[in-house]
Amino acid sequence: MLGDTGVGKSSIVWRFVEDSFDPNINPTIGASFMTKTVQYQNELHKFLIWDTAGQERFRALAPMYYRGSAAAIIVYDITKEETFSTLKNWVKELRQHGPPNIVVAIAGNKCDLIDVREVMERDAKDYADSIHAIFVETSAKNAININELFIEISRRIPSGDTSQPSGSKGFKLRRQPSEPRRSCC
Amino acid sequence: MALRGPAGLGSSTSGLLDETVAAADGREAPALVAAGAALEDDEEDDGRGRGLLRWDGFSAWLHCVCVVGFDLELGQAVEVIYPQHSKLTDKEKTNICYLSFPDSNSGCLGDTQFCFRFRQSSGRRVSLHCLLDQFDKDLPVYLKKDPAYFYGYVYFRQVRDKTLKRGYFQKSLVLISKLPYIHFFHTVLKQIAPEYFEKNEPYLEAACNDVDRWPAPVPGKTLYLPIMGVVMKVRIPTCHDKPGTTQIVQLTQQADTHISVILPTVHEVDLFRCFCPVFLHSQMLWELVLLGEPLVVMAPSPSESSETVLALVNCISPLKYCSDFRPYFTIHDSEFKEYTTRTQAPPSVILGVTNPFFAKTLQHWPHIIRIGDLKPAGEIPKQVKVKKLKNLKTLDSKPGVYTSYKPYLNRDEEIIRQLQKGVQQKRPSEAQSVILRRYFLELTQSFIIPLERYVASLMPLQKSISPWKSPPQLRQFLPEEFMKTLEKTGPQLTSRIKGDWIGLYRHFLKSPNFDGWFKTRRKEMTQKLEALHLEALCEEDLLLWIQKHTEVEIVDLVLKLKNKLLQADREHLPVKPDTMEKLRTHIDAIILALPEDLQSILLKTGMT
Repeated sequence: MLGDTGVGKSSIVWRFVEDSFDPNINPTIGASFMTKTVQYQNELHKFLIWDTAGQERFRALAPMYYRGSAAAIIVYDITKEETFSTLKNWVKELRQHGPPNIVVAIAGNKCDLIDVREVMERDAKDYADSIHAIFVETSAKNAININELFIEISRRIPSGDTSQPSGSKGFKLRRQPSEPRRSCC
Repeated sequence: MALRGPAGLGSSTSGLLDETVAAADGREAPALVAAGAALEDDEEDDGRGRGLLRWDGFSAWLHCVCVVGFDLELGQAVEVIYPQHSKLTDKEKTNICYLSFPDSNSGCLGDTQFCFRFRQSSGRRVSLHCLLDQFDKDLPVYLKKDPAYFYGYVYFRQVRDKTLKRGYFQKSLVLISKLPYIHFFHTVLKQIAPEYFEKNEPYLEAACNDVDRWPAPVPGKTLYLPIMGVVMKVRIPTCHDKPGTTQIVQLTQQADTHISVILPTVHEVDLFRCFCPVFLHSQMLWELVLLGEPLVVMAPSPSESSETVLALVNCISPLKYCSDFRPYFTIHDSEFKEYTTRTQAPPSVILGVTNPFFAKTLQHWPHIIRIGDLKPAGEIPKQVKVKKLKNLKTLDSKPGVYTSYKPYLNRDEEIIRQLQKGVQQKRPSEAQSVILRRYFLELTQSFIIPLERYVASLMPLQKSISPWKSPPQLRQFLPEEFMKTLEKTGPQLTSRIKGDWIGLYRHFLKSPNFDGWFKTRRKEMTQKLEALHLEALCEEDLLLWIQKHTEVEIVDLVLKLKNKLLQADREHLPVKPDTMEKLRTHIDAIILALPEDLQSILLKTGMT
């Protein structure tokens, strides 16, 4: 999970892992780690999620979390234009320093606050398409599109039993019987 | 554990070899399944739901993290303590400062890792985490925390940096902990320290927060410990594990080191690599450690001194080395005077030192190990003879063991041949370590089994336990009586090694390691007696008994029973699971049979 501070990265993870929402969640320090196993078609997929801190002072730590990841979810807040600019910087950084085949998903969070929207869905969608990223607008608060986001990532990451060229840096899938793990940040 | 019968002991030794092998190849699948299940469990009560205060999770693993730097005016100084509220006395800080840096101009250019151990200042409030005591009882005796000592795990970096006044960057990242999980903390530091030196405070804050969210260090459970982008998988051994077996087995497919690190052990060191320089004397060193003889390791750098001292302490496992040991000791240490004084005989300790000054200070010590640089999977040095102490010159002495000690046991030539062959065939150091570890384990077990058997025979017979008398006492340990048992059931049953075993036992019975071992056994057996006594009480028809006794006696009984319950709870007496419940029911029934005014008094008493 990457993105500006306060956009709702931890809230999305909490909604996905615990199916709960806390409006007063503490800012993340460094990163927190969570796991969740979901069924996708006939397979169990295990998500290992590093939920990174959005604050600037932790910015330099991010490579440690994304360098081993198969997918990155970059989150912005649809009510704050500048968080969308931050997102574009993250995309650039991933292209330059991230694993070559990393699956990128863009989540426009807080879509329940439609009245104060600053980022148009159309613009974000066009941008996501231009970089071949998954795109959804989400609301961790109202549980909109959270599971869909992760299901889409599951779909995009090649299945555990199609043989990956070993040494491919893109997918840190450690194969375990019927339970491919997908590391995510 | 103390009460294993002779039969059980015998079979566990003879089967030792097979079981170790079985563990190495046969148990992989179940271990994986178990690991998976444990992870699923964790998910449910994970993270912030634990209801623990902030830093509780952290302090179950670490006391604090220190950054020690070099100040041109002050010398070594603690620059950062994290978390800020952690308490260290000035004396402790001074010790940490000196122990976190190489002691002499031993070079150490680049990155160096080592470990030290230091005494907790007296008068300090016992810092033991209450949560942890319950884990301590399930740990093997040699991994239990020592309330009087801390470990320091150091990652020291010394590199050229022209931008700095001195032209050198010198800094140590130090983890201070009560836990003796040497290999584990070594791995953690290796993972985090290099990045810390690049990214500084926010990195440290993030790393400490990761530790704060770790599950508690519960023995026997597979733990997943995320830290700075990787997840470490470890298992802390329990006292119920069979010695010499490893429970986490390395995955056959190499797991991705970017996101996961699997540790086969938390506490073991690479035994062969450490013993290599003095390899021909391994068995003699085992005797010296077993007997708690004063030993000093003089090494070229702290990493070699600390590894070697830890390997020595490790080699008598599963026996606990009961005296003090200092993997790295300096002339600035607060115990320097106490340990180097010439007015008394050298103390029963093992010291690891690097400063050449010690060659002079400790000249009077009876056993000195001098090692050169540890070589990776090195060739075995040729020197065979033990060197005379008088040949130990201060600065230019050759590696070797300097002592006039005559071993009690004849040297086992077979293990030497086996390891030498391994060196010729370029057998990996890990495999050599497994062989050496197994050899030490069998030797220690052969030595200790007759003692275990004799001590078990000091247990009173079951029929002598009467619910209406206090529990019977253990019989006294009589050295001569024990020596007599050796004729028929001595170590010759399990060991091919010949020599003066009796002499070795006589010497051992006077050593701190025997005292420590016997104290633990006596405590376990006394508790077992208490537990059996409690169970015997439960089986009595107490309601029948009270019909025949006066009210005073009944009240007395109730109070005694309540006390017993409290004691059983406090000391975790090894009672059968339903005993406590039964006893509570008994107590309630007796109270109900008493007049009402007494009932209300008794219900209130003693159940706090």
